[in-house]
Amino acid sequence: MLVEFQQALADLVAAPELCRQFRENPDQLRERYDLSPREYARLVAMVNHRAMECNCMLYRANRLAPLAMNLNQFCRALGPRLGPLLSEYSIRYPNTNVHFYAECDRFCQFILAKIEQGYELEPPVKAIFDQEFAGIKLGVVASYSVL
Amino acid sequence: MHTVKALVGLLNNPVVPSIIKYAPDLVEYVDIIPDRLWYDFESGEVPGGRFHRVVGAIEELKQCSTGRVLGGHGIGLSLPSAMPIDMAMVDEVASLARELNFRWFSEHLSMFLVAHGSVPNSQAGLGLPVVYDEESFQIVRSKLEILRRALGCDLLLENGAVFTPVPDTEMTEPEFLNRLYSELNCGTLLDLHNLYVGMLNGVLSPLHYLEQLNPECVREIHLAGGHELGGFYTDSHSGVTPAEVWSWAYKFGPYFTNLKAIVFEFHESYFEKLGLRGIAAELERIHQLAETLSSGAQRAHAS
Repeated sequence: MLVEFQQALADLVAAPELCRQFRENPDQLRERYDLSPREYARLVAMVNHRAMECNCMLYRANRLAPLAMNLNQFCRALGPRLGPLLSEYSIRYPNTNVHFYAECDRFCQFILAKIEQGYELEPPVKAIFDQEFAGIKLGVVASYSVL
Repeated sequence: MHTVKALVGLLNNPVVPSIIKYAPDLVEYVDIIPDRLWYDFESGEVPGGRFHRVVGAIEELKQCSTGRVLGGHGIGLSLPSAMPIDMAMVDEVASLARELNFRWFSEHLSMFLVAHGSVPNSQAGLGLPVVYDEESFQIVRSKLEILRRALGCDLLLENGAVFTPVPDTEMTEPEFLNRLYSELNCGTLLDLHNLYVGMLNGVLSPLHYLEQLNPECVREIHLAGGHELGGFYTDSHSGVTPAEVWSWAYKFGPYFTNLKAIVFEFHESYFEKLGLRGIAAELERIHQLAETLSSGAQRAHAS
């Protein structure tokens, strides 16, 4: 079914691990999605295409974009810790909310939950997070305004 | 038959008003992304309804649009998705189209939405390739008919930047676009830089593509620059238009007898790199192109 084919494609670009899994064992595509033989053959070809890697990179870059724009200093302050955090966040929330403030708010709530679970942020980084999160909350509130 | 020179313009972003102030004579047309002019609250009910407009940005646009033509350039309707069209979004687009007087409206021939997103207005994260089969054609066709009734203006579809095309399809992309034009009078927004992306990544031949495409269906051209990411060339809207893209515009453009606009796309995050002068220079080049094409189109008609 076309809707299943499209879902499979969206799931693949969001999860490089899924791409690796289906490359090794393509039959799992049929187990997971309701595909015609032609759709199955197409997906096998696409998941094995060298540029599937580019799709995955662009997916991550686009997930990062609203955070980079609205939590710019916090993302910079995280440095190499940003990548693993973004990976974990993307797995937990596989789709971007097009309301960018809502998306950033969700990411900030995710960070807060990790802090409560013991994830440590250095005080300067925490200060940046608090400041930019406050800005996000203002943005969310402002977006509720209807004139 | 007199051929009118295509309008020269920009894809709107927060920096475009500054460019219009800097070089007002160079910007005749602006492509407006309606999705950037609202906050979409589809998850949960909120006072004021689902779409809350960014009033300041819309007012600024209205001021900039005096003496200029505006067109809509949507990204959120995801016409090829095998799911019903988002009628609330169609209505919001139609409302904005009336308020801003869109001369025409374009969408992307790419799939952004899937049926089982984790949030209702969630997107796949990038434009995914289309299955150019009869089933997809009928899905796109029926949604275009809905959109046309709602907006009441000409519709265009833009070719996307594709990295992993769907193999073994019933139609090629040009054939799909040609058929939309012949059956529905839906024009093509030809993104020449997206063809460049496909060429550099080894998935398509722009010359073969352009020879297959019906030149009469091209109503708008997009030009842009990109950069490399992890060994792949991307449509990042991060620079000036590459030389080879200009060559295609000059070679095939004279046959685009219905061409209405040529637009330069850049993302605001690269504004510092490009600069006001750089963008103005790009617009001047596009004006030269538009002049050449209109005289070339006259020659194509005469021959």
